[in-house]
Amino acid sequence: MRKVKSKKSLKGQMRVIEAIMASLIVIAAVVFLYVFAAAPSSPPQEASELEKIGHNVLHDIDEQRLLARYIYNAEWTNLTAALLVSVPTNVYFNVSIYDINGRPISHPLMQYGNQQFFTTSKATASVSYIVPGYLLSYNPRILVLQLVRG
Amino acid sequence: MRLVRERRGQFIVIAALLISIMIVSVSTVIYGTVTYFKYERWEEYLTIVDSVRTATNNLLQIRLANYSQIGSPPNPPPTLRDNLNQWIGDVRKAYPGFGVDLSYSLASGVKSAFGMTLNYNLGLARRWYQSTSFSAANATFNLNIASVGLTGYNFTADSFLKVTIRDAVWYGGSNSVSIYLTVDREGPEPVLSLLKSNFVVVKASNVTQSNFTLRRYYSSTFNSFIYEVQINSISALPSSVELTIHDGRGMRVISASIPRSS
Repeated sequence: MRKVKSKKSLKGQMRVIEAIMASLIVIAAVVFLYVFAAAPSSPPQEASELEKIGHNVLHDIDEQRLLARYIYNAEWTNLTAALLVSVPTNVYFNVSIYDINGRPISHPLMQYGNQQFFTTSKATASVSYIVPGYLLSYNPRILVLQLVRG
Repeated sequence: MRLVRERRGQFIVIAALLISIMIVSVSTVIYGTVTYFKYERWEEYLTIVDSVRTATNNLLQIRLANYSQIGSPPNPPPTLRDNLNQWIGDVRKAYPGFGVDLSYSLASGVKSAFGMTLNYNLGLARRWYQSTSFSAANATFNLNIASVGLTGYNFTADSFLKVTIRDAVWYGGSNSVSIYLTVDREGPEPVLSLLKSNFVVVKASNVTQSNFTLRRYYSSTFNSFIYEVQINSISALPSSVELTIHDGRGMRVISASIPRSS
């Protein structure tokens, strides 16, 4: 009778040990995931927002058939003014224009805001916009608009 | 009986192991999915797609503007294909590293669009010297961006300018001819921003006229906004009237009609 009782208690202890082992295995799996799973590095939301703003602004100016005119007629002041009224006031910009081979087109500085922010800010956006030509002439230009929030 | 109980005990450990494997593998899949989405620069890709699409539309307009300036209607110069081939190369250069690949097919043969029947030849069509005249271009493009696995983005680029002379009347009392016309572009939508300078050539009886005025107003007779070109000092009913119009995009259409006496 005593022998049977001690066998039963041994089995009970084994159950507890098994349960503890099972728990430890599951906990180990969770800890493993927690420790080794690197947090996904996503691009900052801010840069994405600025890209959206930049593209929309250029697209709107282009839709009004003004962008090509400004670029090919060298109306740099008008281009700067159009961007100035289109982007939010706390967004600073810097414009560069290149030919299709990436050679810069000579133009005066077209920028707005404190340019220091372009070097200090973590979220700087750059939008490339291709313009094929103007009226009858095909001569592609690439407009690069850099944006940063001030 | 003893054996069965021992197996049950092992089963708990095995079940825990299986659960652990499931947790790890499912987490790996979820992690992969989440990070894949977050790593992609969707805004930038959408920007490229939109930019290429807009620029391609603009290119087609430039080509149509060229086509409507030069060449004769039966034998239009096949420049659209050459220019599009060049454009494909330039798009690749403009977005290096993205694997942007643009291909095209030019509209060919008879197609119905903008409420008209257009007969395209190598993507271009025009019908001039009629009361309803037009210049048109049409091509379908396929855009792939290899770096993100975007394939088969199709879009159609259309350019169109139509001039319809609704009526042309010679007024003997005032020695003038009034030409009532509407101008439409792709959409179709009316072109309402033309100025006198957009009416490059105005002819009556095949003689170029410089003494004309232009008005734009809503006409209840024609139930639309119309342009009225009034040519002065026309003492007799002209055999024909002819208008050469170019819009702000540089596209040109020549429309002609036979006027009637009031």
